[in-house]
Formats: sequence, structure tokens, C-alpha cells
Amino acid sequence: MSRLKQSALGAILIAGLTCGAQAQGTLRLRMNGDVNTLDPVATTNFTIRNASYLMYDTLFALDKDYAVRPQMAEKADVSKDGLVYTITLRDGLKFHDGASVTAKDAVASLNRWGGVDGLGKILYSKIASIAPQDDKTFVITLKEPWGLVLEALAKISSNVPVIMPAAMAAQPASQPVKEPIGSGPYRLVPKEWVPGSIVVFEKFKDYVPRKEPASMAAGGKVAHFDRVELKYIPDTTTAINALIAGEIDWIEEVPADMLKLFSGQKSAKTVAARQSGNSMQLVVNHLNPPFDNPKIRHALQWAVEQKPFLQAAYGDATDRYLACAAVFFCDTPYASDVNTERVLKRDPAKARALLKEAGYDRTPVVLLHVTDIATHDVYYSVLKSMLEEAGFVVESRPSDWATVATRRASKEPVAKGGWNVFFTGWGFIDQSNPMTNVYVSGDCGNAWFGWACSTELQELRKKFAIATTDAEKKALAVRMQEVAHDLVSFVPLGQAFPSIGIAANLEGYLESPVPFFWNLRRTK
Amino acid sequence: MLRYAATRLVAGVPTLVLVSVFIFSLIHITPGDPAILLAGDNATPAQVEAIRARLKLDLPLWQQFGLWFLDALRLDLGSSVYSGKPVTELIMQRIEPTLVLGLTTILLTILIAIPLGAYAAWRVNTFVDRLAMGFAVIGFSVPVFVIGYVLLYVFAVKWRLFPVQGYKPLSEGMFAALHSVTLPATALALVFAALIARVTRAAVLDVLGENYIRTTRAKGLSAPRILFIHALKSAGVPVVTVVGIGFATLIGGVVVTESVFNIPGIGRLTVDAITRRDYPVIQGVILFFSAALILINLLVDLTYALIDPRVRG
Repeated sequence: MSRLKQSALGAILIAGLTCGAQAQGTLRLRMNGDVNTLDPVATTNFTIRNASYLMYDTLFALDKDYAVRPQMAEKADVSKDGLVYTITLRDGLKFHDGASVTAKDAVASLNRWGGVDGLGKILYSKIASIAPQDDKTFVITLKEPWGLVLEALAKISSNVPVIMPAAMAAQPASQPVKEPIGSGPYRLVPKEWVPGSIVVFEKFKDYVPRKEPASMAAGGKVAHFDRVELKYIPDTTTAINALIAGEIDWIEEVPADMLKLFSGQKSAKTVAARQSGNSMQLVVNHLNPPFDNPKIRHALQWAVEQKPFLQAAYGDATDRYLACAAVFFCDTPYASDVNTERVLKRDPAKARALLKEAGYDRTPVVLLHVTDIATHDVYYSVLKSMLEEAGFVVESRPSDWATVATRRASKEPVAKGGWNVFFTGWGFIDQSNPMTNVYVSGDCGNAWFGWACSTELQELRKKFAIATTDAEKKALAVRMQEVAHDLVSFVPLGQAFPSIGIAANLEGYLESPVPFFWNLRRTK
Repeated sequence: MLRYAATRLVAGVPTLVLVSVFIFSLIHITPGDPAILLAGDNATPAQVEAIRARLKLDLPLWQQFGLWFLDALRLDLGSSVYSGKPVTELIMQRIEPTLVLGLTTILLTILIAIPLGAYAAWRVNTFVDRLAMGFAVIGFSVPVFVIGYVLLYVFAVKWRLFPVQGYKPLSEGMFAALHSVTLPATALALVFAALIARVTRAAVLDVLGENYIRTTRAKGLSAPRILFIHALKSAGVPVVTVVGIGFATLIGGVVVTESVFNIPGIGRLTVDAITRRDYPVIQGVILFFSAALILINLLVDLTYALIDPRVRG
């Protein structure tokens, strides 16, 4: 060892006395984004959703088989006619300020959530009344039978129907709560919260976990750490180095091109998060030429195929992606390969023929090209050459995501700030459910960006909401896929399984589409 | 001297007003809507509109500026549209890491650059001179983030001598704070040391040809005494000027370095605010940086007077 290194090590030994090592009882997490609010009802942001699960609890939850289980609820009694749901809270529930959780809090929280969440709004359109019966019980009375009441209350992704004190829930959802109070296994330490840097939680000693073993969002939420720190580290390379050096314990996503950094490392590893699959899509604007013409939309489907995009983004990490054209994701209850030929197979000749038949006048396809997200940048390069080979004229509008997020809302013609296509990504949990998948609403001007319009899709969704058997639901979902691919509300560009990075000395990490940190413990 | 300083400070006020108008116009011309970013992917137009109204982004631009300006006169820079926290509070939270990083950088820079530049001048056209100036060229040419990643890989990941990221506040001890900023400060210092070493060399070279230096040699004074007591003092004005300019460049460097080393300082606050179109924070930090620069320029001018009696006269 060189003299320089020896002296430096000596200095560090002294420094260690001053700095102190990380306490054993602290779990340090790096999520993809920062936490600016801890109100998962006021925003659909996934980082906020993930962080909120530490401090809030829900009435019902999904287990690893996606079955609904009671969480804060002790039970739900459903009347024979399916119109009255009597929900009883379990004993020992407390908010972080020491107050007991009551049925009044539950009703106020659900009312707030039902005003903003997509599925919540549908549920509330079916509700005749919702009111507390006593401190532990509240009753939901429906106008007509609807089979998804408990599924809606167990919704795992944004917006999550978390329970908060009634006074907090009285605030409109357009205004995030400023001093959040939950009843989950960890509680916020407000004075240590520095937006853009760190959020700190500590173990909530009065939390009573369920007796059942943890199973995804359901079961006993046992907090093994005294303290949880959410560190916002924007630079991914720095975050990975920090994980390998033992400064943090978990990274939400390790990019495919950085997986090799973990080879030979004993301190940390990567795990393919199969349940957290997500997919990239090309969103198509139906309002502007040339894609206001269905034939030209079909030409777009023939012009692209998924593999080159996936290879460009994930390289030789072939176990981390899957070519998949199922609208509700592959390997899910509603997965189907119906009407996927145009989507999966590329045929530039057919695309050119369709363009000719449709009278394509070389109107440029204006792509909102995001330059500050690496995957979008890579996908753009692949898409441009594919479209040009098929006879499209492509124009790029490069900008950061913030600009695209604003411009995609414009329904104006391209010349007045509109657009034709942009890339986006959705997670498995949101898109595998026909009630929350944004591409099968067919809701025209009220649909998600792209504004695809189909009265049949609207009808299919209504039927799905009242379907009672699995076979009936599956048949409706398959038909939705058939219509969606004919309509081309989007072009799926493949499914990917992000890799999480995790310290090698942690065990008990729950496989789930949303990262949960109860049940997780350090082995040494 | 005091009257001079006060006049200079008052003269800075119109500059700050102009900067405010310029920045306000620039950020509102930039496309991107904070309300849409805050609302999330599933938000309806009505939800976005409600957020816009809450943030007063629906008012005409001149009204928005007027409201902001009147508040700024009362030293109220508004609240972040992203976190809802007052901008002054956010800046105060972030000052310490940036200040510790900046001062450590300047200290390291001076400790490296001035002896190096002076010695290179003393040994002009020798191998030592070429080596020193070679270092200067490399230091100035390699981007700060590249130096940062190399230092990080070698000293933090391979040898584990320093933390990869983060900042330890002074409340945890001076040593802890300095330990946490050593790598980022070194990365930044190498860039500035290169610049200042070159200027020091040139300034000292000019002075070394003067008669009074020849006299000190004739009197038999030692080389360090001639160099650091007699020559450097006279060469001080251009060096102080470049150190002053270095502070301005440092602001840009801090933005990059704080991101690479995850230091929660004002640089990171600036980048995050721009990404999120957090208008009040962008305006607040730029106003803060502008005021800091005006103050630094004043300090540089006052330092001239301290080291050069002709300026005092």
C-alpha cells in the first residue's frame, strides 16, 4: 500500500470516529423520483405512491394472487342483493398523532379519493349513500349491483384509497395535505424532510400488524427498521455506486446498461422485478392528420415492430424484456394474442401500400422527442428509421419531458402547438386492468391523450364493470383488445422487467408491482 | 472605503431588478406547465386548471410579476409550486452545503494554484514549468463531471476512502462535513486551480523581471522569500481578479458537481427547479446568485485596495 493511501486510510479512521457508521436500524432507499408531497390522493406520481405506503394503510389490499384481502378492515358483509356493503374496522388502529381510526375517517378519506381517482369515480357513480354506522362500522349502499366495490377499495396503484384523519380528508384533493398523518407502519419525521433531498420515517410503535404473513399489499406489515430514509439521488450512476459502497440499501430501477456494474459485487445485487413489468408505447393523436385516417394508423402498425426497440434499450439483457402486443400485458388474466399481427410483425411494403391507398400526402409525422429520458432518446432513433423506410415523413420536436408533458395535452393542430405521436410508459398494474387501462376507454375528447374514440369500447367497459364471472370478463377484455388494435389508440412497443438494486444483506423483499418495505430485514 | 462599499451595494439594486425581469420573462417563455407536471398522468383538465388557479398561474404575466416583485421587496420570494415550502426557507436549507463546498474549493484552489503558478514562473521554461502548465491545460480542458466520476470511482468505490454521495452537516462535526465534500471540492478545485495557476505564472513572470526583484536577489534573500513575500504581493491584482471570476464560474461548477455527488445544495435546487418549472424557486435562486456575485465583485474591488496602495490612493 502506498504511503499516500496509508495516510488517507489513517485519516478515514479518525473520520470514522467523528462521522459514525450508518445505524443498523436504518433502511436507506433511492426511488426514481423525489417526494414533494405525501398525499397519494392528490397526485398519481408513482414515487409518492411508493413512499406513501410506508405511512398510510388501506382498508383492503391485494395479495400475491391478486385476491382482495381485508387490511384495516376486519370484514366486509355484503347483502344478498349485492347492494349493501357493511365494512367493519379491526381493533387497535391508530393514527400517528395517537387518535383512533374511526369509520368517520374512513368515509371522509374514501369520499376524497372517489372524487379524483378513475376507478373511484366509477364506484362513486354507483353509490347511493356511504355513511358511518358507529365508530367501527360504515355502510356503502349502491344504486345498482356492481361487482368491483372491494377491488376498487383494494386498488394498489395510483390513486391509492389510503385512510387519513377526517379533518385532513376534508381538504380538496387539488390541494395536497401539508402535514400528512397516516396510520401505517412508519410515520413521517417532518422536521427532517428536505424536499429534493431526503424524507425520513420512523417506526410507528403503536402500529398493530395483521397476524397473517405478508403477501404483497396484504397480510402483516411488520416494520423491522427503526428508521427509513428516502434519499433523492438524481444521478443513477452515483446511486449505483452508493449502493455498491453500502451507503444505501435499495434502488428502484437499475438501467440495463448498468447491470454489469454489479457483476462480482458482494455487497449488492440486482433482481428482475417480474411483477413490476412496464411497457413503452407510442401514443397516437387521432385528432390531427395524418393519423386522423384509420388506414394511415394501420400503416403505422405495419411500419414498426418491437424487437429492435427492445434490443436498443436493453441490449443483451434478454431476460429483462418481452415482445408483447397484449393490451392488458402478457402473463396476466386478460392477456390475449387476438388481432396482434399488425402490431407484432413489421412489413414496410404493406405500410407503403396502405399509405398509397389512403392518399397519404407526405404530411410530416410530428414526434414529441424527449431528450432527457435515455429510453425515449433511443426509441426515437429506432422509430425514425422505421417510419421513413415505410414512407412516412418524420419531424422531431426535441425537448425535455416537462415540455412534452405540457404539449401532449394540446388538442390543437400541429402548426398551433399540437402533435402526432409521443412515447410514454405505463406499469403492469395500471394497464392490466380493463377499468384503469387508459387505451381502452374510447372516450373521445375525454379519453387520455390521443383522444381515441369508440362507442363500442365505452360500452364494453360498462359491461365489464358489471360482469360477474371470470369467463365473461375475459371475453369482454379480449374484444376490447380487438377493437383497440383496430382503432390504434396506441402502438405497444414491448414489455420490460426493470431490475431493482438491493443490498445483499437484506431479506424478505416482497415481490410486487409496487415496492413495499415492511417484512424487509437485515441479515447481518 | 465604507462610503465606496455602500455606493457599490446601492448600484447593485438596479442590476438585481433587471435580472429579475429578465429571468421572469425567460422562464415564462420556456414551454412547460408546472400545473400539468404536478397533476400527474391521470389528471383531468379540470384538475390541472384547479392547480393552475391555486398557484395563480392563470393570472396575466404582468400581474404575476407584479405580485412576485412586491413580495420580493418585502424579502418574501414566494413559495415553491413543487413542495409548497417558502423559497427563502429552501434556500436557507441549501446554503450550508454549497457554502462549505464553495469555500473548500476556493481554499484548495488557492493552496494548489498559487504555489504551483509561482514556482512554474520561478523555474520558467524548465521541465517543472512544462509539467505544471501541462497539468493546468488538462485541468481546464477536462469537464468537471468527468473528473468527478474518476475521483468517485477511485477514491470512493474502489478504495472506499470517501463517501460516494451526500453531505454531512457541520452540526455533525467540522471533520465530517469536510470529509463529505473532499471529493467534489477536489473535482471543482482542479478546474479552477488550472486557470489560476496559469494567471499566477504569467503575473509572477512579469514581476520577476522588475528591478526590485533583482535587488532582493542581490541582497541574497532566499527563493521562497523572494517569490512569496515580494513577487506574489505585486502580482496579486490579476490573481485576485481571476479568483473573483472563478467564483462566478464556480456557480456553474457547483450545479454539476452537486448533482454528481448528490450534495443537497443550491446548485441541485436550481437544476431540480428548472426541470420542474418551479418558477418561484428559479427566480429566487437566480436572484440569490446575482446578489452573491455583486457582493463578491465588491469584495474583489476592496481586496485590490488592500493589496495595492495605488488603488487606495
